Amino acid sequence: MEEGGVNVIDLTQADESFVKELEALGADELRECIQCGKCGATCPMALAGLEFFIKRIVHAANLGLRDILLEDSSVWGCQSCNRCVEICPMDIKPYEVIQAIRRAAMKVESCPANTYEGLRNLYRFGHAVYPKGYEERRKKVGLPDKPPTVISNDEMRKKFQEILRNTILEEIAPFPLD
Amino acid sequence: MKKIGFFLGCNIPFNRPDIEYSARYLLNELGYEIVELEGASCCPAFGTMPSLDLVGWAAASAWNLTIAEEKGVDIITGCGSCYGSLNEARYHMEKHPEIKEQVNKILAKVDKEYKGTTKVWNFINFLYEDVGLDTLKAKIKNNLNGIKCAVQTGCHNLWPSRAYPTNEDNTFFPTRLREICESIGGVAPHYSTITDCCGMGALRSTASEKSLALFKKKLDVIKQEIDPDIAVTGCSSCLLQFDAGQALLIEQKKLDYKIPALHIAQLAAIAMGADPEKATAMASIPLNGVITKIKGGN
Ligand code: SF4
Ligand code: SF4
Repeated sequence: MEEGGVNVIDLTQADESFVKELEALGADELRECIQCGKCGATCPMALAGLEFFIKRIVHAANLGLRDILLEDSSVWGCQSCNRCVEICPMDIKPYEVIQAIRRAAMKVESCPANTYEGLRNLYRFGHAVYPKGYEERRKKVGLPDKPPTVISNDEMRKKFQEILRNTILEEIAPFPLD
Repeated sequence: MKKIGFFLGCNIPFNRPDIEYSARYLLNELGYEIVELEGASCCPAFGTMPSLDLVGWAAASAWNLTIAEEKGVDIITGCGSCYGSLNEARYHMEKHPEIKEQVNKILAKVDKEYKGTTKVWNFINFLYEDVGLDTLKAKIKNNLNGIKCAVQTGCHNLWPSRAYPTNEDNTFFPTRLREICESIGGVAPHYSTITDCCGMGALRSTASEKSLALFKKKLDVIKQEIDPDIAVTGCSSCLLQFDAGQALLIEQKKLDYKIPALHIAQLAAIAMGADPEKATAMASIPLNGVITKIKGGN
């Protein structure tokens, strides 16, 4: 996947059914957007130079431009910082539009590889970030090898996994949940 | 003795246990009994369950919240993502009873129930409100001796303000972390990019160069406007960017100065007498100069 190009808005590709899908996935105020651009003015993605940033993503979402939204990696560069939610005068909750697009992309396995890594770690270890060699680092500051989280409690880890198996992860995880 | 549940998350216990050491030391010094949240998991991180499904996200967060509820304690976390994910999940469940209901159906399978009685704190708001600046000041062992701090509150510690039980008066002009640094003897001026994002997180994984360039721009402004002795963050992910990310910029010869960085839990712990070696054990940018300055203060 490439970072967003400039000419991403193509009206001939508009697809109303995708707008409805996004609304159902959490972007429920999407249609009220007035394209004022305030979200883009505070968005770190825009400040960092991603061309397909939040204002344009909301625009594309409103048109139901399924292909570009699912293919472009920009939505995965969102920091979940919620500046856009704070500032939007129409209460669109633009971050939730991003989440809706991600949720749609996950269903068709159109997301970056590191997303799966985080999910797999979350399921297997109970921790999305689970780097090697942490025992040594902890020893250095006089802490026990393992923190008192799910990683040192098998019974709790299994219960946490059972919770995850009862979510949508069961349907769409691209790895076995055993 | 007041009790508080310490929510560790992932980055703090695994990548920066020096923050964990510091936080434990600090809370004890301030007179809190730390309650371990045995079996707590990842918050979950925004790129995982929240990007899959709202109910799945809320269920995973609720798992963590119920552990604290059962022990009758509030939660404190040093990680902005944990603060955001747990509080946002909490907010969604409070606002939409049908989500809470669905979550409780899932939790029932492991004999748990989410009630919504636990509050989730970050270190900034906890020190500012629950501890209070006067108490903090009264407990200092090593005054910061006027070291100049550039503060980085961190996105998730500010927005979306609707999800947080307490916050800055103006989230686009945060002052609480500055006041905390000053109450323990530092100087913490405002600077123009104070609310700019550090670039860590999804942006760093998706567009690494752009993320680091965004961070460098922020550092340059900090250097030019206030030329601090240290950067102080309210979020462990910001700290990873300010410390290891900065070291990377230096290694790539894109930066020709250094600003050492600490999480506020580390800096406050040092002010309360923690062993500076342990409190800064994983830092990539050396803090010797800063520690010497602080030590000269007493
Ligand atoms: S701030 Fe809100 S209304 Fe304005 S462009 Fe962004 S989403 Fe649309
Ligand atoms: S939450 Fe995402 S889209 Fe919104 S301002 Fe932050 S980075 Fe931009």
